[in-house]
Amino acid sequence: MKLRFWTLLPAASAIGCFLALSWVPISAQDGSKDGKKKVPYPGAVRPTKAPPPGPPGPVPHMADGKPDFSGIWNAQRQLPGDPEPDMLPWAAALTKQRTENYSADDPEARCVPGGVPRATPYHVQMVSTPTLLLFLYEGNIHTFRQVFLDRKEHLKITEPLWYGDSIGHWEGDTLVVDSVGFNDKFWFDMAGHPHTTQLHIIERYHRRDLGNLDVEVTILDPGTYSKPWVQHRLATLETGFDIVEYVCNENNQDPGRLAGNTDR
Amino acid sequence: MEHRRVVLAASLGLIFSSVPLAAHHSFEAEYDFNRTVKVSGIVTKVEWMNPHARVYVDVTDEKGKVTNWNFELGPINILLKNGWRKNSLKAGDQVTVEGFLSKVGEGLGNARKITFPDGRRVLGGSSADNPQ
Repeated sequence: MKLRFWTLLPAASAIGCFLALSWVPISAQDGSKDGKKKVPYPGAVRPTKAPPPGPPGPVPHMADGKPDFSGIWNAQRQLPGDPEPDMLPWAAALTKQRTENYSADDPEARCVPGGVPRATPYHVQMVSTPTLLLFLYEGNIHTFRQVFLDRKEHLKITEPLWYGDSIGHWEGDTLVVDSVGFNDKFWFDMAGHPHTTQLHIIERYHRRDLGNLDVEVTILDPGTYSKPWVQHRLATLETGFDIVEYVCNENNQDPGRLAGNTDR
Repeated sequence: MEHRRVVLAASLGLIFSSVPLAAHHSFEAEYDFNRTVKVSGIVTKVEWMNPHARVYVDVTDEKGKVTNWNFELGPINILLKNGWRKNSLKAGDQVTVEGFLSKVGEGLGNARKITFPDGRRVLGGSSADNPQ
């Protein structure tokens, strides 16, 4: 493993100082003055911080002239301003229950894949080729996702998949990724937004410049949401680190201890 | 807002962190923000594994009873990127651990701050500092 980050440690530490100062837990901020805890993020998308800034520079291109997304990316962060999804009653009730129980039943805590479009909390390596786009996830879990650019039709999925079947095509400089064939086991986020196997996701990837990758995610699932749920996200290029190993189930002691909301 | 002050103090101490800590599980599902703990003792084992590194500490109470505490740390991929190594903390080291208590069982906690007797901090804070 390269240790490039050692050379960047002083700068990284300075950034870290800033991050540490700004990363006061939102949960703590939610504590009420009378000492009684509030339920965090009731029915809402969990707020996230903006990713660290990406470096300036032009968009790199592949030999075929299309934008090259290869690189290590900081985790996608959902940008503020997107409206809440319009959920069917069962989905709203389930999300509320999951959130109020502090997401104790989150499958991700059991070291299973986060599915799509759940953003990993760790670095992601994207590998662009003219025919295949790969997402190599550091965690959680340490796995990969494939987007096929040389196929125009979806596979006939007989067994729903954690990452579904993803095919992509270019619309100008934007890669449009169309995915179906998902199982209904994963949550979209820690808030617990659910879905059914009718899930259809369209992602639009646009590399704004060297350091910034815009991602628009449209969630279509008439079994769960009454309208398309559109999310806007940003990933920034990370030049200081490689992705490293993350073996989630080597020592996962958490599941038996996820008591959830014990105040209810 | 004593709890809030604790959180702020812990965050201010995280000057070494360059990559935010994150967790694969909800912090509040497992730990209680309102129940903090501070113990001192001898490290008996460090588990340099994911999804979290763990440190086990023998803590002797006033009556001489020894409890082996099990503290959750950050994930090793993030600890590594923040400059820590497997031998940054070893069995036999004397430490003071501050953190939050588990909602289940005794002797379980999430370590937010670990210090050596000379005041040096070791290994990063907890995932409580960066909810996913």
